[in-house]
Amino acid sequence: MSSAELASRSGCKRTEVMHDDCRTGKGDTMSEAMVKHGALPTAEGGGGSMRHLNALTAVAGGVALAALGWLISHHFMQTDDPETSDQVVLITLGCWAVGFMAGIGAFAGPFRWLLGNDLTHADEMHLAGKDQGVGRYFRFTTDHKVVGVQYLIVTMVLLAVGGTLAMLMRTNLIVPHSNFLGPQTYNSLVGLHGIIMVIATIIMVTGPFGNFILPIMIGARDMAFPRLNALSLWLLVAAVPVLLSAGFMGGIPTGWSAYAPLADQATPGMDGYLMAIVIFAISSAVAGANITTTVLTMRARGMTWTRTPIFVYGVVASVGLALPALPMFMAAQVELAVDRTMEGQFFIASGGGSPWLYQNLFWLFGHPEVYVIVIPAVVALMELTPVFARKPLYNFNAAVLGIVGIVGLSIMVWAHHMYASGWAPDLNGPFMLTTEMISVPTGVLFLVVIGTIWRGRIWTTVAMMSVYAMLWNFIIGGVTGIYLSDVPADYALHGSMFVTAHFHYTLMGAGLTGAIGALYYWFPKMTGRMLSERVGFVSFWLVQIGFNVTFLGMFAVGLAGQPRRVFTYPHMFATGNFISTIGAYFIGIGMLITLYNVISSWRSGLVAPANPWGGKTLEWAVPNPIPLANFEVLPVVISDAYGYGEGDPQPPHWRADPHSPATPELVPAGAGTTISDTEGSPQ
Amino acid sequence: MDARRTLTGGALTVLGGALVVTLTGIVLHRDGAEAAALSATVKGTAATSRGVLPHAFLKLATYPDSMAGAHGPGGGVHPDWVTYGPTSALKVPAHSLVTITIDQYDGGETITNPYFATVRGTVGGTMTVDGKTLTKTSPDAVGHTFTIHAAPSNQDPLFVSVPLPAVAEDAPVAPNSDYPAPHVVTFSFITGGPGEYVWNCEYPCGDGYYAKFGGAMSSRGYMSGTFTVS
Repeated sequence: MSSAELASRSGCKRTEVMHDDCRTGKGDTMSEAMVKHGALPTAEGGGGSMRHLNALTAVAGGVALAALGWLISHHFMQTDDPETSDQVVLITLGCWAVGFMAGIGAFAGPFRWLLGNDLTHADEMHLAGKDQGVGRYFRFTTDHKVVGVQYLIVTMVLLAVGGTLAMLMRTNLIVPHSNFLGPQTYNSLVGLHGIIMVIATIIMVTGPFGNFILPIMIGARDMAFPRLNALSLWLLVAAVPVLLSAGFMGGIPTGWSAYAPLADQATPGMDGYLMAIVIFAISSAVAGANITTTVLTMRARGMTWTRTPIFVYGVVASVGLALPALPMFMAAQVELAVDRTMEGQFFIASGGGSPWLYQNLFWLFGHPEVYVIVIPAVVALMELTPVFARKPLYNFNAAVLGIVGIVGLSIMVWAHHMYASGWAPDLNGPFMLTTEMISVPTGVLFLVVIGTIWRGRIWTTVAMMSVYAMLWNFIIGGVTGIYLSDVPADYALHGSMFVTAHFHYTLMGAGLTGAIGALYYWFPKMTGRMLSERVGFVSFWLVQIGFNVTFLGMFAVGLAGQPRRVFTYPHMFATGNFISTIGAYFIGIGMLITLYNVISSWRSGLVAPANPWGGKTLEWAVPNPIPLANFEVLPVVISDAYGYGEGDPQPPHWRADPHSPATPELVPAGAGTTISDTEGSPQ
Repeated sequence: MDARRTLTGGALTVLGGALVVTLTGIVLHRDGAEAAALSATVKGTAATSRGVLPHAFLKLATYPDSMAGAHGPGGGVHPDWVTYGPTSALKVPAHSLVTITIDQYDGGETITNPYFATVRGTVGGTMTVDGKTLTKTSPDAVGHTFTIHAAPSNQDPLFVSVPLPAVAEDAPVAPNSDYPAPHVVTFSFITGGPGEYVWNCEYPCGDGYYAKFGGAMSSRGYMSGTFTVS
């Protein structure tokens, strides 16, 4: 039975069948009615052995297989030799990851397929988490909305751990020679903080919002490969303990970049690092291929490229850039593992290898990675700016070209990190040129945002404030980046706190600020609750003031010559470091208040209407809570999503009018009536 | 969300976060803080090229394992790592003549960088090894080096590097000792104003199959430490 027939039988107007609030007259939602009539399968009886698998069995499986791997490898290898102790550690960690994935049920589907007993519809419904309540967040659940929320939680956990390490590092630096942390501990914290934050910032937009929001935004029912979606998430979860284990095995004394040959000589903590990177790279590749395929093949009818929201472009650009970049990083770590465990010579000059090989592979990932992080955060803000300025996005085509320009140039700038390394000095000039050129498409994105804000009727929310903060921070990060792209200036500033301040202004000032803005914007759709704006403003100002105090102070001491990654410093840098540490405490307090806001609002915040901001993209056209299949009738898009302005009343504050109508210009598939012709969605 | 509940909840979250950071910091501090410093003993004065200065003395040793250092009972976490002793945090007076004596118990091989086989930065550019005055030692038989570096800053520069000759591999264990008889190396240098410096061994005597710069060489407290002029 088609949904249209069902709608007709149940007495709903065809234009209303998108909404679960349209009841059949027997108290059933459309989804329930479709299930009753056999149009949708149920999860009852499905799942088989997968019903018993969850996060606890995953941990048990991981621990059991890791213990087995350790026992066997330890038994057969002489562990007095550092090489073989590295082999034991790598085998143990690899076994953990395999056991964890088996325990969560990642292999159940392929295993049954191999046995000729592929998953049934009921199994798929079980995998999608149907009727499993909170439990579905702890399972191998394929529903993209669940995966999006899981990514959000993982991101917050990573940010909390990385932030804790940052507070400890800054406390150690509050005065010269504080001796709060030993140098070994400090070095290890620097490495762990760096890599944890890099992973967290890579996933912080494309993970939660790319999975939860993007499929709905393009009018799809789910991702192209739902099981791969869950696989990418749980691989990431498996990688987190592997990474943290480094802290208990001598740490990561190399900084997050793990340069060889330092990494060749480091303690077994390095094995935790490289195994985590390998797992994370696989996770990212799977996620990237999935998101790209979803956007290329599952956009709603009528959603041409000129009608595709800019957020979708940004996410695709990010994961598309990560697809070739992260394997470079993974390859470097695999070679490092060979060096450490099998007397490989990839990075050892005396054996015919080259440390420059590592640096090239690392930065072939490392610089595109900056844009992997920043592009989705900036485009998330570009997506919400028209909503809160009540104006169309200024020059959509320029925005797309800006993104394309950044992506194209970002793979041609990596060696500006290696000016001082002595590798190919003749290429310093060309790399300086490409690096400085990338400021042009980046500037275009700035102009698009400023042009959208210009003469807009601004609705000042935390999300919109994040746009202003991003502009301020990213300009500082960008301009100082131009200094660093300049070869002579870089020779003076390389390896100093100036560099640290610069990349925090881009990754945190623009990236994390963008992610927080996106969280305030899409939280009502993800949870059905509003984040408190009042609490949000308090945390916003604490974080932004603290951030600028911290990193402007760091610029000052960096310019004066303080090297980075050093656990103490001469007295001449005392004032700047003291100021930076106080600023960092403000950031910490502000982020904790943000955490409180998320938890308390999620539990007991104001119930969100379906479209609290008056947004026009498709995610605002579905009800809260969002049905399992998102749309009961797939939409057809007949215009772009940025038609804000004329004849469009400024949306009232959500408290005053929580029933603000959603008015996307779309029609149910096969129908000629637009939903905007109806009297408003029954939220 | 009422204001009182918001304030209470927010404050508790901040306090909880601060507590987590504090507890983590305490654990890491206990595990990783630098050892207590060994201060040089000042005994009278000495005539130097910079006039009459206080004369301070330090006594150190290098061991082929960590059983005799300051790493706790049984050698600590890495009993088989080479180490300096009795500690790696050293403190000497400013504007003084400092004389350091090192008992070198460990063997050695060819040093990677022969630059560090020559005595540098000491009074007269010399050291005494078992009573003989030398300006360098054979690069093929270096056990360790004691090398003080200064970070770029506005404090007085200080660079001292002394090679410690290797004890022969077949040297017999000395009576009432776990080690062979050591080479006794003595050298002196003059300190400037107060400053924070680091010292380390430049002979790759650590862990890792490549170049031996891992393990004891890449972990503070064994073959490297702080050198405070105060």
